[in-house]
Amino acid sequence: MFIHIENICFTYSLGMPFETEVLKDINLEIDKGEFIGLIGHTGCGKTTLIQHFNGLLNPTSGKIYVEGVDLNKKGVNLKLIRQKIGLVFQYPENQLFEETIYQEVAFGPKKLGLSEEKIEKRVREALKMVDLDYNLYVERSPFSLSGGEMRRVALASILSIRPKMLILDEPTANLDPQGRDNILSEIKKIHYNFGMTVILVSHNMEKVAETVKRLLVMHRGEIIMDGTPQEIFEKHANDLMKVGLGLPQVTECMHKLKAKGKEVYTGVLTVDDAEKEVLKKMKKPLKR
Amino acid sequence: MRILRNISFGQYIPRDSLIHNLDPRIKILSCLAIIVSLFLITKYSGYLILGSFVLFSIIISKVHPKFVFRGLRPILFIIIFTLIIHIFMTEGKVIYQLGFLKITQEGLVKGLLISFRLFILILATSLLTLATSPISLTDGIERLLAIFKFIGVPAHEIAMMMTIALRFIPTLLEETEKIMKAQISRGADFESGNIFNRAKNLIPILIPLFVNAFRRADELAIAMEAKCYRGGEGRTHYRELKIKKADILTFAFTIIVTVMASIMF
Repeated sequence: MFIHIENICFTYSLGMPFETEVLKDINLEIDKGEFIGLIGHTGCGKTTLIQHFNGLLNPTSGKIYVEGVDLNKKGVNLKLIRQKIGLVFQYPENQLFEETIYQEVAFGPKKLGLSEEKIEKRVREALKMVDLDYNLYVERSPFSLSGGEMRRVALASILSIRPKMLILDEPTANLDPQGRDNILSEIKKIHYNFGMTVILVSHNMEKVAETVKRLLVMHRGEIIMDGTPQEIFEKHANDLMKVGLGLPQVTECMHKLKAKGKEVYTGVLTVDDAEKEVLKKMKKPLKR
Repeated sequence: MRILRNISFGQYIPRDSLIHNLDPRIKILSCLAIIVSLFLITKYSGYLILGSFVLFSIIISKVHPKFVFRGLRPILFIIIFTLIIHIFMTEGKVIYQLGFLKITQEGLVKGLLISFRLFILILATSLLTLATSPISLTDGIERLLAIFKFIGVPAHEIAMMMTIALRFIPTLLEETEKIMKAQISRGADFESGNIFNRAKNLIPILIPLFVNAFRRADELAIAMEAKCYRGGEGRTHYRELKIKKADILTFAFTIIVTVMASIMF
């Protein structure tokens, strides 16, 4: 078990008139190699929750274990934890500050005290993981890039620490459809090719649902659903609507077909799957 | 990260009280009167009167004293420092001696008076910002500065700059915290090392912060132009400031108290 969370609660500005309870009694277990989508409305506590994973925030009560280490125990080396869990913040391009992309990506490894050769190796490796050509990019300024490229550089600057787990907060926000698809396919590659544990945080069902293998749905500081996307979309469609999250368009379409009396499986996530499912249920197969 | 949360400067706490509802000009002028009289007072009795007047205002403002006293925290060091300097450095009648350190009566008196002065100064100004919304505060400053327009004081521009600055303090603090957390996640360390290393470690925070602030300023300027903002000339106000009876009475009362505190006692 990689991360183990026991009954954590978190309250902002504890003891002040503006105090707000953001996380309410969260229990969670994450294994190595999982691919998780964390979904919920803006302000439901997603970002607060993930900041607990690498010790940026301490829970008001409850315990968090990363590889068996209790994060709140005195004397825990949080730096070591932060090497294991790479947290990519929302709009990571806003943290870029170095003169060249090489230095930007090398920032983390340098802080680890690695030798020049090892740093260069890691920079090459990280840039390759996000599909940026080493020779074309290293000398350029990160501020001369497009939004999507900047985000990939920011992602590479986390990957160069070689984390065991990658958490991405709204990695596709504010990108055009192509940039969004690129980032998602890179994340998929990182998960499948390098076996990295990934948590994808988003408020958008579309795309994320078809990417991940396990879906956590948060609502008002609680995890209200936990399962495969198929399960959740098949069984809990109504509850999802109730908390205002909605379904991916194809899935909604299948639910409507079912409501009209067509016995289709509603746990589909992509247009292709929906097509297959509909064709299967049609009496006369269409000729294409 | 904790530090950033404790800044209470410019924090407005909305309540429905006499102090909140006063005209901002009256509040600013009363505050000025208190500050001026603080530097005229020479005896304890004067401080006692002024101190109780400020405490009384805090109570009727319905703002929890905790917030007002929180404003003292950043300057507590300065108060203690001046107190110590005064106690040990003033020549006069020695009342206690420990080696080369000697405490004099004059020093004690002077030190305490200076501490009271700083203490009341901060309480009064904190109350002003806590009980006045930033918008009406800058409104008040604009109107007061308008008196000096004939010598070329750009009252409206100054007020607009203040409004914008006040508006963006929380935004920038929030952003600083976010960037800090992001850089910590990337391996940055802000808590260890000597002072030079620590200063160097701030670069990953400062550069993104400045880049974003300039970008934001640019966007704000364009948004203002798109809304046809062209300076203060001929600009009308949504909220017209009007001096009410309560304002006059409060101001008169403040003047009486401050004059009494600084001259009569």
